[in-house]
Amino acid sequence: MTGLSTLFTELGSAAKAPTGLVPFRFREVGGDILLTNFLGDWLFVTQDEFRALTRGELDSASPLHDKLASRNFLREGLDQAKAAERIAYKKRFLNWGPNLHIAVVTLRCNETCVYCHASRANMDAVHTDMTPEIGEKVVDLMLQSTSPSVTLEFQGGEPLANFPVMKHVIEYALARNRAYGKGLEFTMVSNLAMMDEEKLAFLVDRKVQICTSIDGPEHLHTKQRILAGGNAHREAVKWIERINKAYIDIGLDPTLYHVEALLTTTREALKYPKEIVDTYVGLGCRAIFLRPVDPFGFAGRTAQIVEYDRAAYNDFYRTAVEHILDLNRRGEQVLERYGSIFLTKILGDDDPNFLDIRSPSGSGIGALAYNYDGKIFSSDEGRMMYETGDPAFQIGDVFTSTYRSLMKHETVRALVMASIRDVQPDCVNCTYTPYCGVQPEHSYRTQGTIFGRMRESTLCAVHKGIQDFLFDKLRENDPKTVEILQRWTTVRARTHFIHASSAS
Amino acid sequence: MSDMSFHLGEGSVRIEFDEGLYPKDAIYGAAYVFIDRCWVHLDRAGDRRIQVTLKAKKPGADTQIYAGEFQNELLGQAWRLRIVEENKKLVESITARALGGAAGPPGLDELLAMDIGEETAFEDPLGIAMSWEEKYKKKGKGEGAKAEAEDASEGASGGEKAS
Repeated sequence: MTGLSTLFTELGSAAKAPTGLVPFRFREVGGDILLTNFLGDWLFVTQDEFRALTRGELDSASPLHDKLASRNFLREGLDQAKAAERIAYKKRFLNWGPNLHIAVVTLRCNETCVYCHASRANMDAVHTDMTPEIGEKVVDLMLQSTSPSVTLEFQGGEPLANFPVMKHVIEYALARNRAYGKGLEFTMVSNLAMMDEEKLAFLVDRKVQICTSIDGPEHLHTKQRILAGGNAHREAVKWIERINKAYIDIGLDPTLYHVEALLTTTREALKYPKEIVDTYVGLGCRAIFLRPVDPFGFAGRTAQIVEYDRAAYNDFYRTAVEHILDLNRRGEQVLERYGSIFLTKILGDDDPNFLDIRSPSGSGIGALAYNYDGKIFSSDEGRMMYETGDPAFQIGDVFTSTYRSLMKHETVRALVMASIRDVQPDCVNCTYTPYCGVQPEHSYRTQGTIFGRMRESTLCAVHKGIQDFLFDKLRENDPKTVEILQRWTTVRARTHFIHASSAS
Repeated sequence: MSDMSFHLGEGSVRIEFDEGLYPKDAIYGAAYVFIDRCWVHLDRAGDRRIQVTLKAKKPGADTQIYAGEFQNELLGQAWRLRIVEENKKLVESITARALGGAAGPPGLDELLAMDIGEETAFEDPLGIAMSWEEKYKKKGKGEGAKAEAEDASEGASGGEKAS
């Protein structure tokens, strides 16, 4: 960085801010200087323009003055009422309690994965199955959320291993919700190897969204996910195709309704950015989430095999997303989820309420995780840590806790305070703070503190790397690329999956 | 003597520094971060010198890394204290809004669970049902002091509820 690194040393005591600017943060991106303000407005200025600003020079007749005024960087003319309205709108997720309720219906799993986050148990460990009674208590608590819409996500282990209870819980939730009238959705995260036609018919009929894991091309997937006596990749692909056909058969638009798949980027996966993207596109997926491996569950123990330097991840991300952009230029409609989340904030002036990238984070107040035994956690990551011996994030259980006692739990309060980004060291000065968020459980797992030290945080490195990449694209301002990135901020709602029951 | 010094021992590291370098709360906070990995001992090493000993719980741990991490955490804790002090109102307002929005008003279950029995139903700790004369009648000197203390404790309790 030739510009900023020496600029203030050269200026010495001559450095002064021009009067009339609102507080802003700055960062060099691709040779220009990116400015962001507290509202999330952003602007690129040249190094010369920035140098003038640092000398306190801002001519009211200059184009720079107009640029700054048009993006709310000048106090004069700033509509304070409108600014307050924008902040309230983007933070509207604070008006409600948890929307996402994760029910781990069993720890049993038929696959063994090198990075397993879920802390699986063997298939004969039936004592790790959730009982119908616990499942009902999960639903009762979930429906007390102040959120007008709730999603019950079934996870494991492999949730299909305890399908009867999952079925029971779905029927119970549908019946109970008649009294609450919430927008109710179901999601299941499954490796699909235990799927059959009967289960599928039930899931399609009850509008359960199905999400699976795909690690990329077959050779990579089967290396990382071992299915005893079978091929994990072929099973997943076979059922993705079958489920997508089932959606078409009932008249749903396949561009909107299809199986969603999730990637876990391991060290091995870094070698195959383009092949991974092509695998997803070949399966009809319209969204790829290039998630780095998490340090939870077994991945914490197998770190030396699956972990990597985050600079290598950022190279992988750039190559993969450049390929996705190329595909879009050729007419393919596919987006990268991380990019989409940040761009919705950067270009869309909104917050998509992605729980791990918001401020404060969604731990407890945005999501709850219910273990098979009825214990309740501030997040699924908190539950994973309990399964590996640390109960720090347990905030109650379905037998004794009331909904309000969970929300008022001291751990939840601490998690909220620790994840307000504007008041954390480093974040307080970071250009990307208006768009960023860090899950405090991740900081606790990796650094022993829910506050985290961002300069040493792998999550911070990833978020900065992705935003550097996206802002560089915006700086280059290629009309076709900007149009594609703009399109990624518009996510069509999948209304078919919402059980919009009116209270009776 | 340098402001900060290290002494590597067998599976442990001792860090000494001037007590004026960091606020005491930052030292406690940084030391606490290590209790899952280390036995942590805080002591005074001499005139205005603080000594922190981190003894690894597991054999073979690189205690030099712990020393570096401790320094970084100290800095983070000290800076965070400053930021939070400057932004106390912002933190309180966001936290109150987040927790208030998530918890919502008390429901029927919670009201039913309140301890309202025959013995407690007519308790009137705030003296709402008392006449003005009963509540503010002249008290003896001792009684007055007690009443002031009670008033103060009511104020504290009300503040907590409001937050």
